[in-house]
Amino acid sequence: MEPELAKYLTSKIPGSTGMAISNVFRIPGGASRETWMFDAAWEENGESRSEAFILRKDPPASLLASQRELEYAFYRAFEDSGVPVPRMRWIENGSEALGAPFFIMERILGCDSNTTRIQDAEYAPVRDAIARRMYEIMAEIHDFDWKGTAIEEVLAPPAPGECWKRELDHWEQVINENELSPQPIARAAIRWLRANPPPPPDRVTVVHADYRVGNFLYTVKGIHGVVDWEMAHLGDPLEDLAWSFMEAWEWTRDGRKGGIIWAEDAIRIYEEASGTKVNREALHWWDVFGSVKGQAIWLTGARSFQDGKTAELMMPFTSYWLINFQDEIMLRAMGRGA
Amino acid sequence: MRPDTPKVLFGIAGQLIMQIMPEVRTPIAGQTLTLSAALLSMVAQEFDRAASRLVEENRSVRTLLAASRDTVSEQALRSRIDAETADMHEHDFHVSALQAVNDRLRSLLIDVHAAVETTPGEAAAGLNERIWDELKESTRRRHLASGLA
Repeated sequence: MEPELAKYLTSKIPGSTGMAISNVFRIPGGASRETWMFDAAWEENGESRSEAFILRKDPPASLLASQRELEYAFYRAFEDSGVPVPRMRWIENGSEALGAPFFIMERILGCDSNTTRIQDAEYAPVRDAIARRMYEIMAEIHDFDWKGTAIEEVLAPPAPGECWKRELDHWEQVINENELSPQPIARAAIRWLRANPPPPPDRVTVVHADYRVGNFLYTVKGIHGVVDWEMAHLGDPLEDLAWSFMEAWEWTRDGRKGGIIWAEDAIRIYEEASGTKVNREALHWWDVFGSVKGQAIWLTGARSFQDGKTAELMMPFTSYWLINFQDEIMLRAMGRGA
Repeated sequence: MRPDTPKVLFGIAGQLIMQIMPEVRTPIAGQTLTLSAALLSMVAQEFDRAASRLVEENRSVRTLLAASRDTVSEQALRSRIDAETADMHEHDFHVSALQAVNDRLRSLLIDVHAAVETTPGEAAAGLNERIWDELKESTRRRHLASGLA
């Protein structure tokens, strides 16, 4: 891929010559898009320049059918805001340059992102501060005025009373299209969700929609970038809070959300930072919804592999690993679990 | 006599981690190898129990459906219950055949559950609880020793 990247960047950086691409590695994870890191060095106006980049490239199939331009728009909208995000550089909707559509962003250097590293002893003294910052940033995402930004160009906002229905309709359809076997627990959950809708939110906000430990870049100094905006949309902010609490992300298996914070502490921090009061019944609705959505994502991966759209082993792995676990979580969320 | 299939699959998983992993040079290859080993371990468990699990579950769901027949009022649903419970036995023990039966039965269970939820009376309430118990049991049957849960 080095020659193709060199050719592409040369065409995008005016006056650049001698483009050299190095350290091209695919980064593990990236369940919706292939994520690659690479470095570029070139001459420009007689000076040597270099930059570190991240490439997000569309795969043949994935856990999610996400829209590239939407994700790019959310990143762009949050540049220079209080919410740290990597800076976007280029987006290509065609396949000519690299064989598939992609976008390229600047790489934030020296950060960890995985779900286990934050449990290391090195992070013990700062883990509480990172957890606090995580929920402060969530509040900042929800406070962000999206009107007039790139987001509004690519997305129509729902009315407050439609937020829950738009999301539930979407994810139920994903299940309809992808389940390989009937899903009686998810179907029961969907019936309950439709029979017990949450009250409309006070405000329609940006919803990151995959905000959890594992989707931000961190060091011992704090959080430096919120990533993986592929499911972002406009909607009810409680969707993010509930999603971050999902049992599947309790990496330490001791009830701490994301393995780093107790739910009540996170709610208190979020309420302080956002100046809003969390409606616990609505939060519970979004908790059950999150399980349905999670199951829809795992089922999509299973279908992609079964149909031969992808050979990525992450897809059958999540099927074997998570579909039944998600059912167990869903039962517990509905008060029907062990 | 040859080694049991699960033993072979666990053996391959172990070799991947112990022998091949140290030779891996890139993070993505390491991830692929780890996923391969984990999948082999899970498939090994599923291989041994799949037929037993499906036979047990199909029997359980058929019994539940038969018990629900007089509680559901919709004739079309009753007819489907009659069709699925006319013969309570399995005749093809290939996992794919058992799974196809399981899919039919669980699809019908979804519709029966939805009907029972909106049916008044103690019989329906009791049946609703039995269906939830079956759903909970279905997750126990599918539980794998490796993985998150």
